Amino acid sequence: MISVKGLKKDYLDEETVTPALRGVSFDIEKGDFVSIVGPSGSGKSTLLQILSFLDRPTGGVYTFLGKSIDDMSDKELARVRNKDMGFVFQSFNLMSRLLVYENVEMPLIYAAEIDPARRKKLVEDAVKSVGLEEKLYVEAGRLSGGQKQRVAIARALVNKPNVIFADEPTGNLDSVSGAQIMQILDDLNSQGHTIILVTHETYTAEFADRIITLKDGLIESDKPIKTRRRSKEQFFK
Amino acid sequence: MRIKDSFNSAFDSIHHGKMRSALTMLGIVIGIASVIILMSIGQSAQDLIISQVQGVGSNLVIILPGGTISGKNSTPSSVAGIVTKTLVQADVDALGREPSVSQIVSAVKGQAPAVYGDNSLNAAYVGVTANFFSVVNFPTKEGRQFNQNDVDALNHVAVIGSGIATTIFGNVDPINQYMPLGNVEFRVVGVLSNQGTGSFGAEEDDVVVIPITVAQEQLLGINYLSEVIVQANSAYNPTFVQSRIESVLEQDHKITDPTKDDFTIETEQDLLSLLGNVTSIMTLFLAAIASISLIVGGIGIMNIMLVSVTERTKEIGLRKAVGATNKDIMQQFMVEAVVITFLGGVIGITVGAIFAGLAYLILSHVLSTGWTFEFPLSAVLLGVAVSTITGLVFGIYPARQAARKSPIESLRYE
Repeated sequence: MISVKGLKKDYLDEETVTPALRGVSFDIEKGDFVSIVGPSGSGKSTLLQILSFLDRPTGGVYTFLGKSIDDMSDKELARVRNKDMGFVFQSFNLMSRLLVYENVEMPLIYAAEIDPARRKKLVEDAVKSVGLEEKLYVEAGRLSGGQKQRVAIARALVNKPNVIFADEPTGNLDSVSGAQIMQILDDLNSQGHTIILVTHETYTAEFADRIITLKDGLIESDKPIKTRRRSKEQFFK
Repeated sequence: MRIKDSFNSAFDSIHHGKMRSALTMLGIVIGIASVIILMSIGQSAQDLIISQVQGVGSNLVIILPGGTISGKNSTPSSVAGIVTKTLVQADVDALGREPSVSQIVSAVKGQAPAVYGDNSLNAAYVGVTANFFSVVNFPTKEGRQFNQNDVDALNHVAVIGSGIATTIFGNVDPINQYMPLGNVEFRVVGVLSNQGTGSFGAEEDDVVVIPITVAQEQLLGINYLSEVIVQANSAYNPTFVQSRIESVLEQDHKITDPTKDDFTIETEQDLLSLLGNVTSIMTLFLAAIASISLIVGGIGIMNIMLVSVTERTKEIGLRKAVGATNKDIMQQFMVEAVVITFLGGVIGITVGAIFAGLAYLILSHVLSTGWTFEFPLSAVLLGVAVSTITGLVFGIYPARQAARKSPIESLRYE
């Protein structure tokens, strides 16, 4: 589903060129749960941004569902982000003045025409899947951190994407809420969703099948997990 | 993105930033209200001027002595101050035989001091035939008008304007009081209703109306006329009547070349058309000045929308991350700008209507004339259209700025 070959990203700051990725290659198949880890400045967030079409690489080849990012216009990238990708951010990125319903609905307003009844059903199903159906008409700003992240996951799920990108999803949460979030992501993976997770927490990364470790913009290691954590109880171990 | 979703987003943004939205709208409210007030007052003024001209009498043709100075539409020589004696009673008699003419008022004009007790005023007077009051629609509010017997008998009777009644007589009832005018003493028999400034003279409330015979023979010592007012027969087209009058007078004066006419004909239609044009131009001119405030309001909108775009950078990044295209973001901010200016326009129209109503109350009281409340539909449509266009024009730049933002840089924005 995802194929990356010699991926590079340089940041230009006036006359200085700072390489963030210096030639990264790997493949991710449908249904995989992959963690990308590494120390600060290793390039893991840059990699996630490119994989999720929020940024473009400066070198190498990236193909998503068989189509190269270089062949896609900004409009096509937006369409793919809307149709095939879901996002979970460390800082939730919810619009606090909007209701849970309105936040979760957001990707659908940019989707192709969906009739209002179906749109409502999709939102309700997504919110129900993260266990927040009672908070459907509550302002997002009134929720706890863990609840906000669950809303963010519902928003990522609502358009039934092929892949969910999660950038430090437990970074702003206490351990109990973090465990709940990882449990939800694990459940989604069990249902067939591809999950790509960026984290600097080893125990969070071990919920994946495979860990790609970055260092200084290069892959240091890319190996499967032998004993994958499977439940929130294991989160604390 | 459906347009309905853009509107929902716009209303949500306005609702959650009430103070900012209100301040953004203020410039548009003031601009639209100014345009509405000026257009309303302009329309009222136009109606008042036209109604006063029409109030002189319908289907009137005014004949002045002397030709025009430099062409058909220029100033008549008599108006320009040149004494001409070409209009005489024989002309009135000739016009009286013309079937397209219904009534004829002969008039002479002069100025003399009017005195009562210690009060005096240099009054404009007009000597007229008895049908003057009905033809030019000058009713009396007290006493009576003079009649043909008074004219024929050279009775020293006068009907005075309400302004003179107040100025000279003060609290004394002027009816049957004696008032010297020049070297002749007149008995006041009537007081005219309030006329204000009208077409017949400069300030018609300060005029003294006396029999033409007395004015010609005893005050002025002349046998020619200052003005002849003809009321056209309603069965005839006014233009036809005008041409008939020209023919009769040219024949009477033995003039073969119409460019050498020694008289000037002015119709009420000409005057109404001219006044209508002048007042329309003045109204548009004032509205154009008021619309400058709309430009200022529009710049205010652009400024606040730019601040809003910066404040909502993270929201823009989020919307782009979940699939919004540049066009979607542009549409959202454009709709927001248009909704704000449209609402501002609607409020401006309402505020304008309220202030136009207040202006009506004040002006109708101050002018003591038939000032009417006018609220032209064209002003409402113009207000809505201009406010919406202001939103479109001044919303484009901030919306483009929003649309051009990179999703990842927007998401990183703190």
